[in-house]
Amino acid sequence: MKTLIDIKNLNKRYGDKNVVKNINLTVHAGQILGLVGPNGAGKTTCLQSLLGLIECEGTIDVMGFDPRKQRQQMLEEVTYISDVAVLPKWLSVNRALAYLQGVHSRFDIEKAREFLAKTNIDPKAKVKTLSKGMVTQLHLALILAIDAKVLVLDEPTLGLDILTRREFYTHLLEDFYSEDKCIIVTTHQIEEIEHILTDVAFIQNGSLVLAESAEEIRERFKLLSVTPEHLEHAQSLSPLYANKVMGLTTMLFDGVKREDIENLGNISSPSLADIFVGVMAKETC
Amino acid sequence: MANWDNSTPIYLQLYQQIVSCIVEGYIAEGEAVPSVRKVAAEYQLNPLTVSKAYQMLQDENIVEKQRGKGLFVKTGAQELVLERERTVFLTEQWPQILEQINRLKLSMEELLDQQVGENA
Repeated sequence: MKTLIDIKNLNKRYGDKNVVKNINLTVHAGQILGLVGPNGAGKTTCLQSLLGLIECEGTIDVMGFDPRKQRQQMLEEVTYISDVAVLPKWLSVNRALAYLQGVHSRFDIEKAREFLAKTNIDPKAKVKTLSKGMVTQLHLALILAIDAKVLVLDEPTLGLDILTRREFYTHLLEDFYSEDKCIIVTTHQIEEIEHILTDVAFIQNGSLVLAESAEEIRERFKLLSVTPEHLEHAQSLSPLYANKVMGLTTMLFDGVKREDIENLGNISSPSLADIFVGVMAKETC
Repeated sequence: MANWDNSTPIYLQLYQQIVSCIVEGYIAEGEAVPSVRKVAAEYQLNPLTVSKAYQMLQDENIVEKQRGKGLFVKTGAQELVLERERTVFLTEQWPQILEQINRLKLSMEELLDQQVGENA
């Protein structure tokens, strides 16, 4: 698979505070990577470094470009929706499209119009008259119409209702994704996108604590409902966390073989949210 | 949106779902299965997962690729799948059911009566 993004030893300091520490991350074509972490973990800083929006240390290669030195060329291939993305209130939808057509060589205005035709957005409407969900859809229309290989989404669905959030990801999969592209997305609603992701990276206090394919993660982590008589044995295999509900203890294991625990209770696959909680708890212990 | 169960990989569940659709005749022989993109968007799954299920269907000769047009259910696929489901039933489920029938000491008459009762 072709490497689209390669980050090596990324560091970012604000004064003497190291907010991003030695991050190494590679993203290949076809991947949909979820960058997951608590507030203030360094997700946005990572994305901003990747996009050349802030100064940082380390080597960053995006489609063969250094985002700090060749930002303009890089942006031909990369699109981004920021978590604080705003469009001017006075701008009409039609003029937003016309503007992008003027400034971006790979913007396909017909594609944007086609996309907007599927929504309730009136092309003559001004941004100030659109709902929050519509503004996100307009953003999506603008960037999906750019023939880019890399799409970076920072909390794209924040503050949207569940229907609009679902629609957002449906469009993403139907209208943008293909095997030669990659998507990086951060979100707090991981349970909604966990099956969409091909790869997951957990970030905590500026460090990557887990970066693997969704498939490998499902192999690695196991959730066990332990019956009381096996509690001690299970505990000795050092679970990431244990949670007792109604007499039954649920434990999360990392890297334990199925045959080592199958006699101790019922095994199931944890959700990404379960793993996230477990990994975060372990790191803070 | 589909509900996935946590104990089986999703691509296997998706595969099973498509197989059931073929058995039930919801997707007829010669008919196209929806594109990977469509299924991914509809079920909110990553396209790799969908491709994996489709690959299995291809490997088992249930669907075939028609160049530039996508995947189609092969002629004879329904019978193929049915035959396989029958074998699975007879070798895996039936022995368990039979064991339970014996344990409950149910006679043939009682079982058949029950069925008549159901049909009436």
